[in-house]
Amino acid sequence: MGYKTNWMKGIFPALVTPFESNGGIDEDAYRELIRFLLPDVDGVVPCGTTGEFSYMTLEERKQAIEICLDVVDGQVPVLAGTGCTTTKQTVALTRWARDAGVDGALVVAPYYLKPSFNEVYDHFKAVDEVGLPLVMYNIPQCAGTHFKWWTAEGGLLDFENTIGIKDSSGDLPFMEALFEKVRGKVSIFVGHDEVVQAALAAGADGAILASANLIPDIWQQVYAATEAGDFGTAQEWQQKVQKLVRIVVRCGANQACKEGLRMMGVDVGDSRHPIVPGGAFRREDREELRLQLEALGKIEKHAVTYAVGEKRVATDVFATPATPDTIDDWTLKVGEGFAGPPFQELAHVDLLIGLKDGPVGRAIERAMAEGGAERGLRIIEERPRTLLVPTVTIRTDEQRALFERAAQGVKLAIDLSIDDGFLPDPILDDVVLIVNAFVHPAASIGRRVEFNNYKAARHAIRKALEGRPAVRELIEEKEAARHPFRYAP
Amino acid sequence: MPIKVPWLEGVFPALVTPFDRETEAVDEEAYRRLIRHALPDVNGIVTSGTTGEFPYLTREEQRRLVEIGVEEADGKPVIAGCGASSTQEAVTLARDAKESGASAALIVTPYFLHPSDKGVYQHFYDIATSVDLPIVLYNIPQVMDAYLPRTVVEDLADLPTVIGIKDSSGDLTYTMEILEYAGDRIDVFVGHDEVVLPALAGGVSGMILASAQVYPEVWQEVIRLVKAGQIDDARARQREVQKLSRIFCRHGGGVAVKAALKMMGLDMGPPRKPLKRVGGGLIHETRAEIRLELEKMGKVPMVGTAFEYPTAPLAERFGDLEITSEMVDEHALRVGSGVAGEGINRVQIDLIAGGKETPLGDAYALQMTYPMHRRQALTAILEPALTVRPPTLVLPTLPQRNLRQANMIYGPTQSALARAIVEAVETERIPAEAVDSDVMVALTTVHPRALDRHGLFESVHAAAAKALEQAFA
Repeated sequence: MGYKTNWMKGIFPALVTPFESNGGIDEDAYRELIRFLLPDVDGVVPCGTTGEFSYMTLEERKQAIEICLDVVDGQVPVLAGTGCTTTKQTVALTRWARDAGVDGALVVAPYYLKPSFNEVYDHFKAVDEVGLPLVMYNIPQCAGTHFKWWTAEGGLLDFENTIGIKDSSGDLPFMEALFEKVRGKVSIFVGHDEVVQAALAAGADGAILASANLIPDIWQQVYAATEAGDFGTAQEWQQKVQKLVRIVVRCGANQACKEGLRMMGVDVGDSRHPIVPGGAFRREDREELRLQLEALGKIEKHAVTYAVGEKRVATDVFATPATPDTIDDWTLKVGEGFAGPPFQELAHVDLLIGLKDGPVGRAIERAMAEGGAERGLRIIEERPRTLLVPTVTIRTDEQRALFERAAQGVKLAIDLSIDDGFLPDPILDDVVLIVNAFVHPAASIGRRVEFNNYKAARHAIRKALEGRPAVRELIEEKEAARHPFRYAP
Repeated sequence: MPIKVPWLEGVFPALVTPFDRETEAVDEEAYRRLIRHALPDVNGIVTSGTTGEFPYLTREEQRRLVEIGVEEADGKPVIAGCGASSTQEAVTLARDAKESGASAALIVTPYFLHPSDKGVYQHFYDIATSVDLPIVLYNIPQVMDAYLPRTVVEDLADLPTVIGIKDSSGDLTYTMEILEYAGDRIDVFVGHDEVVLPALAGGVSGMILASAQVYPEVWQEVIRLVKAGQIDDARARQREVQKLSRIFCRHGGGVAVKAALKMMGLDMGPPRKPLKRVGGGLIHETRAEIRLELEKMGKVPMVGTAFEYPTAPLAERFGDLEITSEMVDEHALRVGSGVAGEGINRVQIDLIAGGKETPLGDAYALQMTYPMHRRQALTAILEPALTVRPPTLVLPTLPQRNLRQANMIYGPTQSALARAIVEAVETERIPAEAVDSDVMVALTTVHPRALDRHGLFESVHAAAAKALEQAFA
């Protein structure tokens, strides 16, 4: 008979594991991360999916768990990921974790080869017999193994040491079946960041989350409000973080959390290969994650000096480690932004920022003097003077209307860049912009065209000013880069 | 006991249904033209199939299509698509088809609601026992979201009126399983254009294909070669139509077939809404690819190809940028040229690099305000959101006549140039200071008939490397 502990509740981050580039665990960064999170969490999970357990050797997993136990020092429970593909290895690692002093083991359904239900059941049974409190872990999107509620029910109720289940499927009917069968007898944790509030409101005891590396305090608000029966407040918080967590969950939580933490000033490196920057966590996702973290107050403003001609303007911007202290050389800056989906409504913005009396300014004045308006060019802002150029010939009224939506999106990007300090007021008479915007001839959904162009333009402005992508990124990614139109249909 | 019918073999086109551009009414004259076009090279025809947009047709329309088919088919068999989600409707359609003179009914797995295996069996059993018309079963999981279960086919094959099955899954494991369990009793037809040859080699009797109204003669040839044991030749024929077949199967279905027929002079009108003629399942880029493939097959005339690679002295090739050879000298602009590739993969890159403060900076900015008609400059990127440095524009020297030509620049050329630039930065062929101080423009001459993106990427990459080497020597 499984049982319910008094500690398996609340918000647990699935800790990312910091690695040294081409090396082992970055112990200092790991300690710093745990110390950073401890004030806002009810427990920690080393070596979970977000912790890239499947890319770590057994020795490294033991090392990570030991570091974690040392830093936590009993302040909160440590629930260690000890799942492996084979029963033998899982049992061995769980035994080791028991002896090392962890509070419980989070054991993923055996993955890759797809065991049948009874094989999965017997796997958990063997792990249960280790004697360490066991949390079963369902994450079919990675494991490829979705255990049915009867497997979960059987294990949760029949095993001696099983104290709960973490369900990361996001499958609410599955969770509801768990509530029906085992609620109150064991702990039921939600592991899918997009449905946390719904699951807690429906009866979950807590959450183990990737995004709790970034926003544990907000998840505490959701948890506390739900506990207090204030579902309205909990819903508001969930909706405020929904975009951020969608990016984190859908784009491979590990790299997204790591880049988010780096932007917040906690450098935990990158994921191990084959996860690569700019892969599942796309570059446009990184820009959006940054904007979301800014909106939630997770990235602070810093003073940056804009040296434009003779002017020296100090402006406070949401700076990340990629933001230079001084932004100079305003002759001609290039920035690019790309945002989608959907395919037909995707935006691809090429943008120049430069001095009014430099090549960019001269090009704008010449283009307008030489019949630019007849070619569909127009000035969409005066401060900073901005020329919008359609890169696909506009033929129909529908296309014209959609391009207008794109123009609105670009204008919004400029306005918000003025508001957030990236285009500070004192330079708006000195610099000008040329924005090339693309609207696919088959685009339909105006709102997406507008929003994607807003995103692409806002990203492009920041990238132009910050000199991104850096040469280092280009060199690192030149082999793996995959231009989507390089290949035949 | 079931009896195999002698006529169920060979090539059957799953005909598109022509519609009027304005009213979406069935265009009967166009349908007759289509059948007459295909008839010489086919063994029979199929009306109201998936390619014919059957779920969008009324009972009356389906009946008319069969009547016209029988009138035009000159005695060749007409298989009438009689698929429906409800058994009752399928029976009605099959009765109509019988009255209209169809030779058989093609009945798809019941769709939308997902009946159990028992329900699926009962569906076909009811039709087979209610209507005195031979039945061809039809497995197409990509639109039905379910396979016609093999065990059900195994049992249905015992019914006297079930004469065959069309398998459009493209899943050869399924096809082989059906041949194994039912091939002795019913004819198995392949319905997936991409796997015709392997299916024939595996033992199917024929095919019902979307592409059999575009290139039925190719499929007849493949059958003949397989029967003659000339597998190498059969492979070559299949390979010739592989890309078009893939497009028809996976990138637009009947809509793509209509686009191809229109290019060949057979206007079958638009699909019915919500499908779009182009821009939905069939995107503009793919439509351009269809034209190219039809050009290769000689089914549509080729676009003119007269052009020249630039031959003026290198420093004089940048007139489009308003840069003269004197300016090259005066501002110490760097120029380099590279050529690589053979035949239609031959590429010439004439590259110019220089400081942002020079006239090249002005030229760069001006290009961004003036997409020259059909010669739009593109930023060199490894992939979207990976712009190279120094910032570089790709400027085609030849007008892009159609989207297909443009697609050779946007994508393969753009990313190959970018790759060469990043490599030159990595090896410091391009000095570090130039990364921030310079801009570059690459005049790019790509053969108007270039079509091999992989080969083109290689050529551009090699030509750009040479041009960079010369410019930054």
